[in-house]
This record gives sequence, structure tokens and C-alpha cells, in this order.
Amino acid sequence: MAKRSSQQMAGDPSATLAKLPDGTSGDVRWITSESITIRFANGRIHQPHLERSTQVSFRIAEGRRLATATGSDASPEGLLSLAGTARSLARIAPVERKFPGFAAPKGRGPGALAYSRTTAELSPEGATRLAEELLDSAASEASGARVAGVVYVGNEHLRVANSSGLDRSTRHSMAMASVLVQRPDQDPPVSGWSEAGHWDAARLGPARLGREAAERMARSTPQPVAPGSYPVVLRGPAVADLLRFLAHLGFGANGEVEGWSCLARQRGKRVAPESVTLVDDARSRETIPQAIDYEGTWTAPTPLIEKGVAGDVVTDLLTAGRLGRRLTGHAQPPEAPWGDYGPAPAHLLLDRGDADEDELVRETRTGLLVTRFHYVRVVDPGKGVITGMTRDGTYVIENGEVVRPARNLRFTESVLEALKGTTLLGKERRTFFDGGSAVTAPSVAVRSFRFTSATLF
Amino acid sequence: MEELIRVALTVADQPGVVHADVRVVAPSRFVQLAVRNGAASALTDARTETLGVRVRTERAWGFATTCDLRPAPVREVARLAVRLARAAGRHARERVRVTEDPGPKGGRYETRLRRDPFAIPFEPVLELLTTAEKGLHTAPAVKSGLATFQAWDEEKWYGSSDGASYTSRIVHVGAGVTATAVRGSNVQTRSAPTSFGGDFSQAGFEFVEGLDLAGRAPEVGREAAALLDAPVCPTRATTLVLGSAQLALQVHESVGHAVELDRIFGSEAGFAGTSWVAPEKIGVLRYGSDLMNVVADATEPGGLGTFGWDDEGVAAQRTPIVHRGTLVGTLSSRESAAELGLRRSGGTARASGGDRAPLVRMTNVNLEPGELGFDELLEGVTEGVYLETNRSWSIDDRRLNFQFGTEVGRRIVRGELGGLVRNPIYSGMTPAFWASMDAVGNRSTRRLWGLPNCGKGQPIQGARVSHAAPVARFRNVAVRGG
Repeated sequence: MAKRSSQQMAGDPSATLAKLPDGTSGDVRWITSESITIRFANGRIHQPHLERSTQVSFRIAEGRRLATATGSDASPEGLLSLAGTARSLARIAPVERKFPGFAAPKGRGPGALAYSRTTAELSPEGATRLAEELLDSAASEASGARVAGVVYVGNEHLRVANSSGLDRSTRHSMAMASVLVQRPDQDPPVSGWSEAGHWDAARLGPARLGREAAERMARSTPQPVAPGSYPVVLRGPAVADLLRFLAHLGFGANGEVEGWSCLARQRGKRVAPESVTLVDDARSRETIPQAIDYEGTWTAPTPLIEKGVAGDVVTDLLTAGRLGRRLTGHAQPPEAPWGDYGPAPAHLLLDRGDADEDELVRETRTGLLVTRFHYVRVVDPGKGVITGMTRDGTYVIENGEVVRPARNLRFTESVLEALKGTTLLGKERRTFFDGGSAVTAPSVAVRSFRFTSATLF
Repeated sequence: MEELIRVALTVADQPGVVHADVRVVAPSRFVQLAVRNGAASALTDARTETLGVRVRTERAWGFATTCDLRPAPVREVARLAVRLARAAGRHARERVRVTEDPGPKGGRYETRLRRDPFAIPFEPVLELLTTAEKGLHTAPAVKSGLATFQAWDEEKWYGSSDGASYTSRIVHVGAGVTATAVRGSNVQTRSAPTSFGGDFSQAGFEFVEGLDLAGRAPEVGREAAALLDAPVCPTRATTLVLGSAQLALQVHESVGHAVELDRIFGSEAGFAGTSWVAPEKIGVLRYGSDLMNVVADATEPGGLGTFGWDDEGVAAQRTPIVHRGTLVGTLSSRESAAELGLRRSGGTARASGGDRAPLVRMTNVNLEPGELGFDELLEGVTEGVYLETNRSWSIDDRRLNFQFGTEVGRRIVRGELGGLVRNPIYSGMTPAFWASMDAVGNRSTRRLWGLPNCGKGQPIQGARVSHAAPVARFRNVAVRGG
């Protein structure tokens, strides 16, 4: 990223908090970020985007009445104005009886986490070159095909302070790339996909991604497959989608508070084979590392499923208070218009196994190979049922081999049932980063997966 | 702000740059008040200021944005936008073509407000939400209640190197209540006036008052609890009558997105997907039955997709999309319209803020009403289901195979509405589904619904759009219980 020639005349959030009167407390999140997104389609870069952003968010507690004010003006006057706005709102808020107060600093941080300055400061020309490499690689691997995709590089600096004396910061670099290779004029159209995320843009491997996407595109006409339950091999992007929904439906604290969590009655019980271990670890070099959450709590490895046994929910200050559970450091960014989803694991890592893709397919014998899903949504939260479409590389497996491309299918399945049916895990795992959460996962073989309808391509 | 725009346009006026436009959105304000189970939930007042510079060279676009509205940072992002466009153009073999759409010279658009939601005290709003949320807890099985109010206020300045300029102030408001009843893993939700935050409009607080949340809450709570004991929706191909809110979402997913011209041309292939509509079929493609008439109307009063000019300075329009079942129009920007060979843009290039570049988005994509009243629609049904209020939605990346779940279903037996059924799901294929529509409700069944959460683009942009829809009847639809 080109260096900023001018910074806003920044105020001091701790000083602003120190001015709060007795009986009033607060915390503040200060996020500065820079990012470049280079989108390409139909063989050309069509939407390059560079963004510099500052977001300051004050949460003020008047006693146990809480409210938040967010803004982009980080000047001393801007901070005072924001704190004042939050105070005005907090005074009229209903009382939050379980609010435990803002946490005093305790514990030790994780030290320096993986970070790439080169990625954080990549120039417009550098980001564009990365996109060109990806585009050219895919185009050369699949002659005549249309190529679309994106390269994203960026950095975020987060500082959190509160009126109990906490003042911490973290920074992270992030990069992701995805590429779609397609032949839209074929009837039905075919396509292939690959993606990767990393804290270091140099490790994205555009040549490999382009080759994978081209390899995953069908070379013959996809054939219809009847809806039904099949054994499946799910490639990493599909596994990542399932885990994101499991994280929200099973390990988010809001579901536990409100009684709809799909794991509410299964904590401490076996929900998957012993080979399945899922952890949320924001410190890992295999994710997009982040030292603190958005309330300033140090992040730490949090077991979610240990050798097949379901663990507890993750929490932030409010939900830890409401549930009387341990504070795990999973506060999310300031409220977005999308809704209040509450704390959730955002740095998931699923343990790898020792099978390569050929072995996963061989052991599956008969079934389907799925590259990724599209438009996944919750159908029944209490049972963990979700639905979505397969996309960009779905194949039939027969006699332990991939034999032909299949037209895409809709699945409607409980993520818990899928987890329970895990038979094998791949030995290579990769990080899939959607800008909000990072999931590091291998491919997975599942004994039975329910497909409820089929589409025309 | 005019001076900042002038500064940015001056810096962007560099060799090779053939067009530049600048949008300043300052302030963009979002207020959310919510009460969840008697406690405050996400009381937020967010105010941002952003400026975006978009430039076009012969072969590429560039866009850069900042939230620091001082001349130096503005000059810098203008330079960065040019650098991006030049870098992106290295790879391009073809010229970027756009339509000739003369922009406005100094126009102003403002939402008409009776009660400005940002000028009233928030205390009575919170009291309203607290009362409504309390009213949801009509049975012990209701484990969670939520009452929300949201409002957006966007002040915008637009200027371009072509000499076009306008300003606008657009205000959106909305509110809703949701009750969640739980028994074991049986989780049932009911909402009013609809799900996912309620209903939204380009209006003042009078719109929220008209929703009567407190009055409706007890029935919402009772119905959530009653659904726990309702039979699961039977599985069969049957006659389906869709309520107005669910039909609005059906229009959104299976018509609105499918007729976005950037999707049709593959610009969104790597993320949101493409479309089953081929460009050469526009004007001849059979989209649905003769009763199907759809318009994209950026002039619809109260619509979240109503404005004076879009984010390329093109005036708001009313464009026929489907006429008597045939696809006759699309949603377009200046670039996508030129690619199709149109002389003018459809005026639907919208950005979610000053920090995002405009994309082809929906405005108010409306299904036109027919002639039957609600009871007349039911009269033609020997056996079927009436479904309302969306619970889940999903559709494939060409907008063909869809599956929707609703919060509630009611049996229809010999033309009469019967008992509740739970976990209803219906699915289908877009053209076959719309072809099966054999009756459309009249104006008395029509309502304009605001959807505040339409996602598209990278970085993601949340658009607020509206859909007017009546009640309608569909034959031989796959329905099942989840």
C-alpha cells in the first residue's frame, strides 16, 4: 500500500475515557485499515478498489445501561463527540443486569504474531501484478476459457482501551485470492474454482491456484444426478462453509443464551469421530493472526471439538456475564447493519488427517466430489440444518475414482450429521478467508450427505 | 464539499484519464435501537464521512476512497485512483465503452419526511420497542424476543469531469419484532411485519408508528409458541399461495438478481455468480406466465431504491422488466448498457456509500398486481398451502434452482385457510415456477416491502432495495416440511 502522506489529527481514546464522570465507564475500539481489492472478469481487471478507513467505536456504560457510537472522525473533537453520543444513548437504554463491567487488563499476550509488512504495504501496481499473474496462469491452463476472480491484500490495526485501564493493540496483514475458470457458452456451462488466504501475499501461489481451477473445470458434459443421500468428498472451500455455520449455530454464545444452539444439549458429548478436532486459534500462523479481540481480550486457542467431543461456546463480555461462563475473547467488530450475531469463532482450524485427495476418493468408493458451495443459509438452527448449492466442480465418484462431472445439486443437511459422518480427513489444509472469518481446513470425506434437488447445469 | 470534489477532479485530470467522478457521502448516519429479552441490544449510533474517486482511462477503471475529508488525503486518493486505473489498463486489450448519459447540472433530491427520525428523541422509540418486545412473551415457550428500529440518513454530493453534479438527502427507516419459541431442538420463529428486521421504507418515523409493533406483538408470540405443536408441513407437489412479503423476496432472488446486466455479462462470475438469462434472449425470453409483469421503478414513492439520480448521475427511471411473461428489460449501468448496445443506461448503478464504487443494483423491482382479491385466490384451491414470512432463502449461482423456507404455513382446504403447519419449505426452478403462476392478487393484496440487506460485490456492499408484491398463486410446486 502506498504510504499515507497525511494522517488524521488523531485524538487519544484513553484520554477521552479518562474524562468520563464517576458512574460512567466505557471502552473504545479504534480500527484503521488499508486494503486493495483487484477484481477481474472476462479476462480483464474490471474493478480495482483501494480503501483507507478509520473507524472508532465507543461503548459507554451508564451504570449498567449500554450503548455504542461509531464514527470515522478520530480527531480529539471527534472522539469527544462520539463518547457524548454514546452517553446520551446509554442514559435511555434498558438496564443490562448481567453486564459484568469492563475487564481490567490481566494475563500476558501472545507476543509477536505472524505479520507481513510487504503484504500490508503492497502498492496498487504490486496488487495488480498479483491479479495479472493469477489471471494469466488460469487463462494459460484453460485455453479459451473465461477467467474471473479477485485478489485482496490489506492490513488492519486495532487498538482497544477501556476505563478499567486496558489499552492494547494488534495489527494483522491479510491476503486472499480466488479464481474461477468457466466455459459459459457450453451447454450446460462448466466451471472450476480455487482459492487461498494467508497473512502473507507471497504465499498465495497464483500459479498453483490458476492450475487448480483449470483442473477442476469439467472436460466433458456434466450429467444429471438424482437427488438423494450420497457419500461425499468435500474439498476445503466446502468444508470451510460448513464450519462457519457450525461456528455460528453451535459455538456462538447467542444461540446458547436464547436456547436455539444446535449443540445446546450436546456439550461434553461425542458429536464426531475421534479424528475430528476443531480449535479456534487466532494466534496460529495458519490463520490470519490477531492478538486481541474487539474488546481487547487476549486471544487464545479455544478447543471447540476435541477428539470428537463438543466443547463450550465462545463468549464476549456480555454473553460471558449472561451465561456465567468464562470470557474467551471472541468479541466481534462493532455492530454492523447485517445484524447482531454475537461472539463467534473466527479463526477456525480443523485438524488434518493423512489422506491425499486420491485416497479420499478411493475410500469413498461411490459418491460425489464437491469443490465448493454457494449461497448457504440456515434452514433449522436447532437441528443445525443448512442448505446451499454445489458449484464450480462437482463430480461423480464410482469404484473409488472420479469418473464424470455432475450437474450441480442442492444440499439440505444438518451440519452435525455431516460432522458425525466424517470418515477421513485430508493431509493438506489451506486457509479460506472471506474478509470476516478465516477457516483453515483440509478436504473431508463424509459417509452420507443429503441432496434434496438438482439444478440444470 | 463542492470544493473537495473540485480538488479531486483537478488531481484526477491527468493524461490518459477520460472520465472522473467523485462522490462525498457525509454524513452517512445509521442508528439502530434494539431490545432483546428486556435488555438493550446493540444500541448504535454510527456516523461516517467518506469520499470516493472513480476514474476511467481508455482501458480501465480505478477507484480509491478515504474517510479523511481534508484536501491533502483527498488529493492522495485521487492520485491513487489514477494509478490503479493505469495499472489495471496494462492488461486490457479492449476499450471501456459507456453510454452517453448527460448528467444533471446541480439537481437536488430529498426524502419527504413528516417526522424526521433523526430529529426526534430516541427515548420514546426505545419505550415503543420495550413495550413491543415485552408483548412477545405471551407463553413460557417464547425464549427470546427482539424488537428493532433502524434508520439511515445519507447526505450525498456528486460531481463529474463531464460537469454533472447533484446533491441528495435520503432517509430510510424500519422496524420489526421477532419471537423465538424453543422446545428441545424444535425452534420456531415468528416476526412482524416480516422477518430479518421488519419492514423498511424511505420515509420518516411515521412509517414506524404505522407498523403498530406493540399491538401486533402478542399475536406474534402466541403464533411462535403455537408452531411448536403444529404438524410438520406435508411433503407433496401442491398449490402454493405466497404471501406478499415472501413473494417480494422471490422476486428479489429469482428475477431481480437474474436481470442485473453485469451478472448477465459475467462481471460477477467470480463471486455472486452469473445469470440463466443470455444477453441475446433479452426481448424474447419466456420468463413466466402471461400474468407476470415486473418493473424496476426507481420513482416508486417510499421505496428504498428510489432516488433522484444513480451513482453515475443517471436519472431515476421506471423500466419494464417482464411484460406478460416475456423478458423485455434489465437493470443496467452506463458500461453494461453500452455492452448490450443500448443508447442509455437504465440508471441502476448504485454504491452503498462514498467508500464503494457503483455496481448494477436493484432499485424497486415490483411484481405488478392482478385482478383477484385474496379470498378469490383461495377459492380456486381445493387443497394447498399458504406460506408467509421468510425464514431461509437460497438460490444457485445462475438464479435457477431455489429453495425458500417460511416461518409459517397454513393449509388451504376447499378455498378456506386452515390450521398452522411448521417448517414449510418450497423449491423450484425459476422459469417453471413463474410459468406456474395462475392467479395474481389485486391492489388490495399489494404491499411495498423494504429489504435492507442485499449483498453484492467485493468488497461487499449492502444495498437497500424494495419490492412491491401482491399475493399470488402457483400450481404444482414442490413443498415439504423441514
